[in-house]
Amino acid sequence: MHVIKLLVFGIIFVFSHSVLAHHVLGRPSYSLGEDSNTPPSMQVETQIGDFYVTYMAFPAFPKPNEQGRVNLYASRIDNGLPFDGKVTFKVRDDSWFASAEETLGVQDIDDNVYRQGFLFKQDGDYIITAEFESGGEPYMIDFPLRIGEPTPIGPIGITVAALVTILAVVNVMQRKRRFRLKAQRANREPAS
Amino acid sequence: MTMTHPGLPFEWLLLAITLMVLGVLWAMFRLPVVYLAKPYINIERIPLLGSLARLFAASPWPLLFLRFIAVALFLMVIAAGLFGTPVPEHNLATTLTWTIWWTGLIITVFFLGSAWCAVCPWDAIAGWLVRRRLWRRSDQSASLGLRVPKAWRNVWPALIMFAGLTWLELGVGVTTNPYATAVLSLVMVVLATVYMAVFERKAFCKHVCPVGRTVGFYAQLSMVELRPRQQQTCDDCETLECYHGSKQIEPCPTNLVMGRLTQSTYCTSCAACTMSCPHDNVGWRLRSPAIEAIRHARPHWDEAWFMVGLLALTSFHGITMMGFWEKGLSDFARVIGDSGQLLWSFSLGMLIVFIVPAVLYTVIIRMTQGMLPVAIPFKQLFAKLAFISLPLAFVYHIAHNLNHLVRESRGFTEVLMNPLGRDTLPYSSHEIHMRHMQPLLNEQLLFALQAGLMVLGFWLAVQVLKKRTLDALGESQQWRAVYLFPGFVFIVVVTAFNLWLLAQPMVMRM
Repeated sequence: MHVIKLLVFGIIFVFSHSVLAHHVLGRPSYSLGEDSNTPPSMQVETQIGDFYVTYMAFPAFPKPNEQGRVNLYASRIDNGLPFDGKVTFKVRDDSWFASAEETLGVQDIDDNVYRQGFLFKQDGDYIITAEFESGGEPYMIDFPLRIGEPTPIGPIGITVAALVTILAVVNVMQRKRRFRLKAQRANREPAS
Repeated sequence: MTMTHPGLPFEWLLLAITLMVLGVLWAMFRLPVVYLAKPYINIERIPLLGSLARLFAASPWPLLFLRFIAVALFLMVIAAGLFGTPVPEHNLATTLTWTIWWTGLIITVFFLGSAWCAVCPWDAIAGWLVRRRLWRRSDQSASLGLRVPKAWRNVWPALIMFAGLTWLELGVGVTTNPYATAVLSLVMVVLATVYMAVFERKAFCKHVCPVGRTVGFYAQLSMVELRPRQQQTCDDCETLECYHGSKQIEPCPTNLVMGRLTQSTYCTSCAACTMSCPHDNVGWRLRSPAIEAIRHARPHWDEAWFMVGLLALTSFHGITMMGFWEKGLSDFARVIGDSGQLLWSFSLGMLIVFIVPAVLYTVIIRMTQGMLPVAIPFKQLFAKLAFISLPLAFVYHIAHNLNHLVRESRGFTEVLMNPLGRDTLPYSSHEIHMRHMQPLLNEQLLFALQAGLMVLGFWLAVQVLKKRTLDALGESQQWRAVYLFPGFVFIVVVTAFNLWLLAQPMVMRM
């Protein structure tokens, strides 16, 4: 019964997300041909519904107060034709307690590409969402964007906290065990 | 832009297949399995190697020194991953972990057995934290020392971890993400420490660690082993220091008794037994590779599944680096309505690739069971013959990894000079092309090694099948070559598929 429930849940989960793409990971690379002098970009190729989507963020490692740009190219999987409607770019903090979403801009196609400029004032992890509509269905794609250096304190802090906690708990339990043994031994020994 | 490695050329394929056919004919009509009269050579009698083996067997310091180096490199990997460039080909975390270590590790198993486990950095760090000793035996209060619950005393957790690691590696793309590589390293440290703090000895190494168990199972095909010098000395021993440890030396971390050791699967090569034995009766020796898988190793149900899983997942590694995988995954994603990184499609694809060899193997075992004149329970035969998948997985794993190591490790010295990859940019198309055109080994030599490995694996699998089928029959039964037929079919299908994979152009990771 549990297996059937899990299966049903799985199917519903898969199909209910048919036009959403979340947190697609990017990879830094030169985006164009070998003769191009384009600076390296963070590049993502992904698939959503009926479209292949290519997304590029310039520069690959943007810093605060530095002008940047995202390029988006969407083509139909079945015939390769580019999408030519409007694309809305939005941004939000990539954190558990994210603040409200802001719209960066609404862009028309320009030479088969949708271009959206950005400028962030603070370091951080952001999510850029590209939204468009095709065939009566809304499409939403989330791309992570890192501004500035990532913070290494998170993983190190969590690791140190986990290690200290487990060692402390074991230490306390062992002390209790030792005291208990000592007490049992003392109880067994006859009073002199 | 992606580059592809050229696959094994047709002439090498033809040569490999010819040798395999000859091997099958020889194996079908020649009985019984022939072994060398003296299959073991004491390493300590070999000049230079012997001195080295004695040095490591007698004192903890050389091993401790290597452990320090491994830990230092491991910490550098974590630092580079967390603080360094996200460009994977310029970051020590991704290049050292996935291009050098993970690919090279499998190759070293053939020559050094489970030596990696002796210097494993996450185990070393966990040991130092929990026991608060560099190498001496700690007092009993360092760990809770609980017995591992009976349900967990198997390698199912390791198989799940190995499948999880493969999923992270190929599905999520940890291999090209320095930050995620560092986080994964930290997770290994935490897991090893938790297990060591809670359970007795090294339960993590024995039951959970995907690297340790992979190395352990492949070590059955290694050319070295740690064994008693004189069996009689062990038979007469009543104190069992190898198992209980001595005043100074820790007991065997995986509960092995040297006198009864028949397989190296759980040996971590830590040398505790060589140092604690009061009779100086434990040492390294050279042996015929795969003798353990052919003759000595005892079958267990969970271990059999681990071996079949290894076979499936190694082939899966190859499949995901083929050009057709991307296209197939994309089409599959459209059918099921998957989006983004296509993780659902990837996971289902992985599950299918895991299930297919498992089902094929199960059918083969049912057929063999039906053919044999003696009644053998299914589970017993399943476990007994699962060893045929070990050499098949091992040789394909090495042949596949050689491609990565030889073609993708160029430029590693530059990464060592600048481990964090400060001020580096991604490779341009031209640089990627140049890397691709300058492999570390001559291309024909690489092809020869790959073809030779596939023939060796096929040959060893046939030997395993033959000896273990003979054992299953028992001495009273009449031998007939037809009993081997289902097993041969399995070996031929798997080898043909892996050869075909090797012959395809392979997509480069970095």
